Amino acid sequence: MIEVKKVNKSFTLFNQNNAKITVFKNLNFEVNPGEIVALKGPSGIGKSSILKMIYGSYIIDKGAIIINNKNIATLSAQEILKLRKTSIGYVSQFLKVIPRISALDVIMEPLLNSGDNKNNAYKKSIKLLKDLNIEKNLWHLSPLTFSGGEQQRINIARGFIKDLPYLLLDEPTASLDSRNRDIIINLIKAKSNRGVSIIGIFHDEYSRKKLNVREIDLNIETKH
Amino acid sequence: MIIPLLKVTNLSKSYDNIVGCKNISMSLYPGEVLGIVGESGSGKTTLINCLSGNLEPDRGKIIFNINNKETDFLNISESEKRKFIRTDLAFVHQNPRDGLRLNVSAGGNIGEKLMSVGYRHYGNIRSLATKWVNKVEIDKSRIDDLPITFSGGMLQRLQIAKNLITSPNVIFMDEPTGGLDVSVQARVLDLIRSLVNELNLTVIIVSHDLAVIRLLADKMIVMKNGTVIESGLSDQVLEDPQQEYTQLLVSSVLQV
Repeated sequence: MIEVKKVNKSFTLFNQNNAKITVFKNLNFEVNPGEIVALKGPSGIGKSSILKMIYGSYIIDKGAIIINNKNIATLSAQEILKLRKTSIGYVSQFLKVIPRISALDVIMEPLLNSGDNKNNAYKKSIKLLKDLNIEKNLWHLSPLTFSGGEQQRINIARGFIKDLPYLLLDEPTASLDSRNRDIIINLIKAKSNRGVSIIGIFHDEYSRKKLNVREIDLNIETKH
Repeated sequence: MIIPLLKVTNLSKSYDNIVGCKNISMSLYPGEVLGIVGESGSGKTTLINCLSGNLEPDRGKIIFNINNKETDFLNISESEKRKFIRTDLAFVHQNPRDGLRLNVSAGGNIGEKLMSVGYRHYGNIRSLATKWVNKVEIDKSRIDDLPITFSGGMLQRLQIAKNLITSPNVIFMDEPTGGLDVSVQARVLDLIRSLVNELNLTVIIVSHDLAVIRLLADKMIVMKNGTVIESGLSDQVLEDPQQEYTQLLVSSVLQV
């Protein structure tokens, strides 16, 4: 379960006349195992910020986010690194990788980093590449040369390759055609059926409907 | 509770009246990569020179804990210190010419390092050296060539092989991709990253290139005027910087 309790978040931009931007005050919600929660609201309201706070890449100014009985707001850097490795998958909006590394290696890396053997990691990654409909002649090429939709699927593969209890998805279906979108939707459903708690940002009504999400409207939740 | 591999407390070093670094405290855990960023003169190099034994700090504590053995780095005898540096630490210089002997063959450079930690059997040294030359993607037919005949990128990869071959516990890297052109940079970065993962290396890397830190480092510290002004997970410091100077640094990066 993920619990977001009385969370405040603001940004102070020192180099722009110390402008202070308040994103949330007193944000509360929770996500149960197997549940898919969709964050809803106009661009700029802070949907991605919530995912980043849960993942530990944004500071939580006030309040608590509880995962595995641990409060992200008070964990040390190495505790967050450990929690990410064992528990939290995050699919960002854009793929960030070193040039030259092949798509296959990009996907295998999270498994190898947590001690899986090479053969096993290879098999799992190949299966996922096939499931995701990535052409075989691309597997050994750097994803930086791929199309937007292909890059996004590689990014998803990297986030989905491990069996982790929590998944954070930032627009996973954004630049995909309808066939590939359905493939991703089915993968997300499969995760959810296995009890994974999922928080996502889905720009389209179709994905939200298909995934049978519970919507959290940030316009209402964060009135301040 | 895991014990940090390296724990630094209130470390300071001045050059006469000029502050090199001041009151630095930090911890590094096994398998972590720590990035140090900051402008020229901020004390990055002074700090890693103190930590790696190249400089004697004025005050502070440096404790290494390797395989449950604690080493109080600033309070051991000179000979113990030299042995510790030889067997447990490694230093990759920005300019590979500073870390290699250019009038000794590539294989000789690596072999020398092995001999310094006690290898004596020529066959073993030769086969390990060949394995490592291969690992850093240098053709093994070049093993008897002098490094003068190598390109900049090859030299840097050779220096990395020389440093890693003895399985040191902490590796210091000072701008390891600094003097390389961009296409070679990517290759060296990729090499460092795959070795870090494969061998579960603990690394402290100094770079002024935030993209390098983002791709390689788990944690980072930002230095200014000799002090640490911000520290944390690399993605957190880069995406949600809390200090004015860090915000300036992050927002000054040119987008391609």
